[in-house]
Amino acid sequence: MARDLAIDLGTANTLVYMKGKGIVLNEPSVIALNRQTGEVLATGREAWQMIGRTPGYIVAVRPLRGGAITDFEITERMIRLLLQRVGVSRFSRPKVVICVPSAITEVERRAVTDAARRAGAADAQLIEQPMAAAIGADLPIDEPVGNMVIDIGGGTTESAVISLGGIVALEAVRVGSFDIDAAIQSYVRREHGIAIGERTAEEVKMAIGSAAPTEDEAQAEVRGRDLMTGLPRTVILTPEEVRFAIDDPVSSIISSVARCLAKSPPELAQDFLNRGMFLVGGGGMLRGLKQRIEKETNVPVRMSNMPLEAVVLGAGHCIEHYDALKGMFMGARR
Amino acid sequence: MIVLVIGIVVVVAVVAALVVLRRIPRHDTGVTRFQRHIDALSPEARRAVIDRGTQHPDGRREQRDN
Ligand SMILES: Nc1ncnc2c1ncn2[C@@H]1O[C@H](COP(=O)(O)OP(=O)(O)OP(=O)(O)O)[C@@H](O)[C@H]1O
Ligand SMILES: [Mg+2]
Repeated sequence: MARDLAIDLGTANTLVYMKGKGIVLNEPSVIALNRQTGEVLATGREAWQMIGRTPGYIVAVRPLRGGAITDFEITERMIRLLLQRVGVSRFSRPKVVICVPSAITEVERRAVTDAARRAGAADAQLIEQPMAAAIGADLPIDEPVGNMVIDIGGGTTESAVISLGGIVALEAVRVGSFDIDAAIQSYVRREHGIAIGERTAEEVKMAIGSAAPTEDEAQAEVRGRDLMTGLPRTVILTPEEVRFAIDDPVSSIISSVARCLAKSPPELAQDFLNRGMFLVGGGGMLRGLKQRIEKETNVPVRMSNMPLEAVVLGAGHCIEHYDALKGMFMGARR
Repeated sequence: MIVLVIGIVVVVAVVAALVVLRRIPRHDTGVTRFQRHIDALSPEARRAVIDRGTQHPDGRREQRDN
């Protein structure tokens, strides 16, 4: 008998929480397929290692890239495999709560819940990521105070104000940390004439990327393929030029936070100033981002101590208290 | 005759009572449900799940290198 599950189906990482047990799976949301037969060859970490390194007949993809479900069929197969791996079968029909970007369309929502039901879930409910994040980040959302969460993931940035267990204001954009990787890739191509893969770009971001000047900055050596000669070449990137390269996506992320603040009722402004805004999601770990948001919004920002797990823990809490928290599910409102 | 009158009076009284009862808003179901919702979100209710997140080794594993 499989236990009820909560799933954070992120564009970058997938986490699964099992009722009564905790987080039982945490891996990249990547699937590798045989192009010809359509067979699944690998998922998760194994598939992630293949990105950009596959022979022609294999393709390793992130089906949720861009915060949207770009390929329904692959997404469905991923959900099915995921449920199988945590022990769901035709005979054990658990309830499942799935976190999705709040910007997804009605059609995408249906696709996700249908996929989960076809894969063996007795019931599949959706919950918005920032709502789950607020529960999981341990914010006092049971009180009549404004709690603002900012969730910066791989493909999306979602900010929400939550008070008394409900969403007061919400702002979501399909810009996230992957867009920062892409900006690094195109900068290096344009300014240094070399092509680098998305994983290399991500490494550069983690190693020296920043949204504002920080202490002890270092340079990074980057290896790629020279666009003119086609041969491998190494270039040195400075933190200043990476900051310049990623300024567009970073600014979009910050403007979306500002828009969420602007949508909030004035009564809550005080709460934000006193309590600050809470930053979760892997993208929020970019160096200097916290400081930059603080500077541009004049509101203090606090980092969650579990930025990558907050969402799945929040959804996990909803699975633990399923009946009492039914009202939080998308479509059940309020 | 008297029986008929009493019968009509009883029926009217019952209908009137039902109408009045339906008009009184059922406060407590809404209140109880909301209270249950809010209680389920209290820090005490959430403690168990959050602690599970901090303890579980799987939860923290594959982050930095991805
Ligand atoms: N230290 C770091 N500095 C900068 N970026 C980081 C860091 N650690 C992780 N990231 C980035 O965070 C992203 C993953 O974050 P997260 O797991 O929250 O995304 P997700 O939940 O899968 O995506 P989404 O919420 O958009 O669906 C990746 O793009 C990764 O490169
Ligand atoms: Mg996320």
